[in-house]
Amino acid sequence: MKEACSDAGTLLIPLSGELDHCRSNLIREEIERKILHSPKAETLLLDFSQVSFMDSSGVGMIIGRYKTMKKRGGNVCAQNLRPHVDKMFHLAGLHRIIRILPEQEENA
Amino acid sequence: MTNQIELAFPSLPENEAFARMVISSFLVPLNPTLSVLSEIRTAVSEAVTNCVVHAYPLHPGKILLRALSQDGFIQLEIEDYGQGIDDIDKAMKPFFSSKPEDERSGMGFALMQSFMDHVVVQSTQGQGTKVIMTRLIKLDDLSDEKEDSGKNDKRTS
Repeated sequence: MKEACSDAGTLLIPLSGELDHCRSNLIREEIERKILHSPKAETLLLDFSQVSFMDSSGVGMIIGRYKTMKKRGGNVCAQNLRPHVDKMFHLAGLHRIIRILPEQEENA
Repeated sequence: MTNQIELAFPSLPENEAFARMVISSFLVPLNPTLSVLSEIRTAVSEAVTNCVVHAYPLHPGKILLRALSQDGFIQLEIEDYGQGIDDIDKAMKPFFSSKPEDERSGMGFALMQSFMDHVVVQSTQGQGTKVIMTRLIKLDDLSDEKEDSGKNDKRTS
């Protein structure tokens, strides 16, 4: 089955560390720049496998990137959420606007 | 057993992680599950971030973090001497933020309330804010995994 998030129009951005206010401020511009430099990407795919913590500031930063993608008619997907990050996604309602991809096997 | 700490630090963004680390270390002897630890760490992170972003918007100021642990009962206080909150009820409404343009999600207080049993906010404009949060660590909240810490002492009352 072809996943909407696994085609060539996907910009994959791996996130890492603890997504709090401090770190979100540091990486916001960088992610925004990558999005602007990939004008053909319809999907922003955020990989959370290396994210050990996220609070409401991280949520705000993710919503900001969702807005950027939505403005250009794109969408955002997320993958490899650890339990705490998954809990934050659901409490914030992020799962309603961001599709969470099923656990990825090692890419063949 | 009663344990108590008090820590003062400036409201620098990098101290958000520091405060979480301190609380993690403080709670380790109670042997909470990773899930409980993450929830309490998040509540502390939200309170400290509020001080960094809202209490002292222009220059860093002093944050006081107090933690008390007594027979599985945890009380955390995060106090600042910053600008204060003019309408606490409004500030605590989920998804309300006084700074939405900064991509603030407005979820800070709602998360503190979700992850702690009880949250009290005291604030005086121009003088500062104190957040007092409590949570009882129940038997279900204790980790069965002993290999992590090398300890197998359960909480005793």
